[in-house]
Amino acid sequence: MEFILDTLNYFSVLMLVVLGLVVIFGLMNVINMAHGEFLLIGAYTVVAATGAGLNFWVGLLLAPLVAALVGLIVEVLVVQRIYHRFLDTILATWGISLVLKQSVILIFGPTAQSVPNPLPGSMSVFGVDYPRMRVVIIVAAISLSVALYLALFRSNIGLKLRTVIANRDIAAALGLNTRAMDRASFSLGVALAGFAGAIMAPVMSVDPQMGVGFLIPSFLAILLGGVNSLIGAVVGVGAISGATNFISVWLSQADTQIIVFLLAMVVIRFFPEGILKGRKK
Amino acid sequence: MTAVRRHGLFLTIAIWLVLLLAGLVVDEWVLALLATYFAYGIFAMGLSLIWGQAGVLSFGQAIFFGAGAYSFALVTLGMLPWLGDSIAMGFLLALAVPTLLSGLVAWVTFAGRGLSGAHFAIVTLCAAAVAETAVTRADFLGGYNGLFGVPPMMIGGEMLEVSAQYFIMLLVALGVFAVLSLIIRSPYGTLLQAIREDENRVAHLGYDTRWLKSVAFIIAGALSGLAGALFAMQFGFVSPSLVGFALSTQVLIWVAVGGRSVLMAAFLGALIVPGAENTLSNILGDIWLLLIGALFVLAVVASRNGVLGALLRLPDPERFGRNADSETQKG
Repeated sequence: MEFILDTLNYFSVLMLVVLGLVVIFGLMNVINMAHGEFLLIGAYTVVAATGAGLNFWVGLLLAPLVAALVGLIVEVLVVQRIYHRFLDTILATWGISLVLKQSVILIFGPTAQSVPNPLPGSMSVFGVDYPRMRVVIIVAAISLSVALYLALFRSNIGLKLRTVIANRDIAAALGLNTRAMDRASFSLGVALAGFAGAIMAPVMSVDPQMGVGFLIPSFLAILLGGVNSLIGAVVGVGAISGATNFISVWLSQADTQIIVFLLAMVVIRFFPEGILKGRKK
Repeated sequence: MTAVRRHGLFLTIAIWLVLLLAGLVVDEWVLALLATYFAYGIFAMGLSLIWGQAGVLSFGQAIFFGAGAYSFALVTLGMLPWLGDSIAMGFLLALAVPTLLSGLVAWVTFAGRGLSGAHFAIVTLCAAAVAETAVTRADFLGGYNGLFGVPPMMIGGEMLEVSAQYFIMLLVALGVFAVLSLIIRSPYGTLLQAIREDENRVAHLGYDTRWLKSVAFIIAGALSGLAGALFAMQFGFVSPSLVGFALSTQVLIWVAVGGRSVLMAAFLGALIVPGAENTLSNILGDIWLLLIGALFVLAVVASRNGVLGALLRLPDPERFGRNADSETQKG
């Protein structure tokens, strides 16, 4: 049972990170190398908020707002100029990640910060004592995924958003404000990353490098499941987190990572469109 | 062919002459530094071939650089006894291993319909991360600490003077530049550029784009290996950081800031950016990385030719009956 919970825990953490990437990479086709640094914005918002004497939960609410603002600035300054240059988005967002990481270092210093755990102690889950904060993260990941699915694929605004992405010119001809849609979806993606960073802040060490480790597994998860698909991302995250936890029973963390990445690359090689090829949701 | 369009040629020649003269007048410490950067420059020119010309964005080019550096170190330190410990054998292995590795990567990734640009970039990025972790874990390769005591440039058992080393590095760089220029300006180079602009169209004309891209990728890989070996020789030791993610992205920055599609601009980018980093990072500290990030974003967004690309672009090659309409070839 504890094995299942640990897998579910890693799944939830990765899923939270991937949600923002689904919007920015999966839907908007911007290969966002700064995603790890967008997490930092959320995490450090919580650091600043708790440092200023605010409650953790207030910080958790502030984090996606601050992140959305940064996302808006980044979109207006940089990303809007390169939507049509697919490969260049990798480079530009890589530069953005350098700028963001250095800004964080300049403001907060290079050392790790700690955020007090708002829910210390553990609770009983199906007969297992499990840390309460981790349970909160699992619940948040699942409910946020469902909410994002409903918002993107079952709501009117989600339909408009996907219209703009599917065919910008026709969307504009239909009277949709494509620029506003672009700004909104990019900011939404960054806000989701900011939220992920914020909610994880109490259970991880918050330092300027914390985002880097998430970048590759989250991209692999999206490619595994198939770009342009939220269910695919869930499957991809499930595959990565399941394989990681399964293999780490026998091997060290580094060796596990090598094997999982290699496996993922082989799968992507043979299923370039994802294991759920054909599904569009 | 107007005078204006030749300025790239004159500037390119002038820069090589300046670098040659520098070997006579500049003090030894700077020369040694520059000689190390020439290894970066060769690395950058290889990347310029595959990325700037063919449009294949490789995020794992340091795998081949590191493979070259480690191969060279293993041979010259005598850790592969059946190969001997000569410098020549070191270079041979430093070319062979990255060639094989890049051939393998090309075979895996370009096969069939191949991976699209973004998929290729992300897969090579992961490959670099895997390679770095693997090298860190490999005790035979010195693990996290790397391998020390890689012998410097020697002829007949004598260590060469710094200025002699400088000239040798310069000549190798010039040779690589000349060979790559010939490749880029050949009909094959034109095909690579056509693949960059529209791969499907080239495929529909009956060309095997997978094969064309693989050849360029293998040449780039071999050059990266050569650069790695030269770097190991100049630097004296190799470490896992030569293999992974960080160096792979740094070389992208150098090439993008210099100018990805112009060989000389990519080469200079690899001299100027690390050079500026060396001098400015002491003064500016963490602000330097912020600046280079911003400059990189600017170089990517504002111009595909980087800072130097437009200045150093060579005139188009003159082929039979083609020089009249060469004006229209430019994108």
